[in-house]
Amino acid sequence: MQWLTIYKKEMLEYWRNFSWVWVPVVFILLAIMDPLTTYYMPIILDKVGGLPDGAVIELPQMAATDVLMMSLSEFSSIGVIIIVAITMGIIAGERKSGVVELVLVKPVRYANYISSKWAAKLTLILVSYTIALLTSWYYVSILFEEIALLAFVQTLSFYALWLILVVTITIFYNTLLKTPGLVGALSVGTIIGMTAINAIFSHKLTWFPNNLSSYIRQLLHTGEIPTALWGTSFVTISLIVALLFLSFYTFQKKELA
Amino acid sequence: MDLIQLLAPIIILELILAIVGVIAWFKTENTNGPRWLWLLIIIFITILGPILFFIIGRRQ
Repeated sequence: MQWLTIYKKEMLEYWRNFSWVWVPVVFILLAIMDPLTTYYMPIILDKVGGLPDGAVIELPQMAATDVLMMSLSEFSSIGVIIIVAITMGIIAGERKSGVVELVLVKPVRYANYISSKWAAKLTLILVSYTIALLTSWYYVSILFEEIALLAFVQTLSFYALWLILVVTITIFYNTLLKTPGLVGALSVGTIIGMTAINAIFSHKLTWFPNNLSSYIRQLLHTGEIPTALWGTSFVTISLIVALLFLSFYTFQKKELA
Repeated sequence: MDLIQLLAPIIILELILAIVGVIAWFKTENTNGPRWLWLLIIIFITILGPILFFIIGRRQ
């Protein structure tokens, strides 16, 4: 019940500060930008290109699955930054302003406080992401060719794991530090660091979370779930759960100290 | 097939973002930095302006 109260309070706040409007809109923009510009590239070049007369540009024919992957890669870059930016103050900001003392003076369990905030933020982000990817799927289907529903749902769900991990990393730094800006910088730094580690040791770390999107690309091409994708998902989920419990622990220690 | 078809959905979403940004701006009393400047940013910098306002413009 306590958990639900905090969750509902967060939801109310997202309505009041317009998060429920602007986050979905920005995500949709991110997701449809690439399918639209890829499809209309010849027209765009024609209208604004200033090409010499008679210039012929052969643009490669893009496969529908590649275009859907372009939407996902927008989420991996700009999407991740937006997610970190809207999550970095969720607990750190309340600790800085003293709101957290007002909440925790009541018999609220630390784990409830953190997990309800985590769940609320995930609801906002995953709902927006689902709407955005559905829009992208729709555009890809009418502009390029259709992608099977099953493949789309699998892509949607497996990639969601990556976004959940990003939120959980940010929440973890929230329980460690009180300055939202620092939380954001460290979260983005960690994600960039993970990408670097993955780039160097990719042949050894086949189940590293950063490999999710490359396995999703395979899934879209072959239509079958690669076995490595299950392993990577398992590692990612374990990492999410471990980080969440670690957050409970560090928060408790920081607040009691 | 014309450029307008490419632009229509993006323009509509941009407009929604700007309008919601202005409404949020009206409701915000304390902004980080000059309040009038944020209004200009929201209206004149497409997409990025409202996002910046929502993320760093408002003081809790």
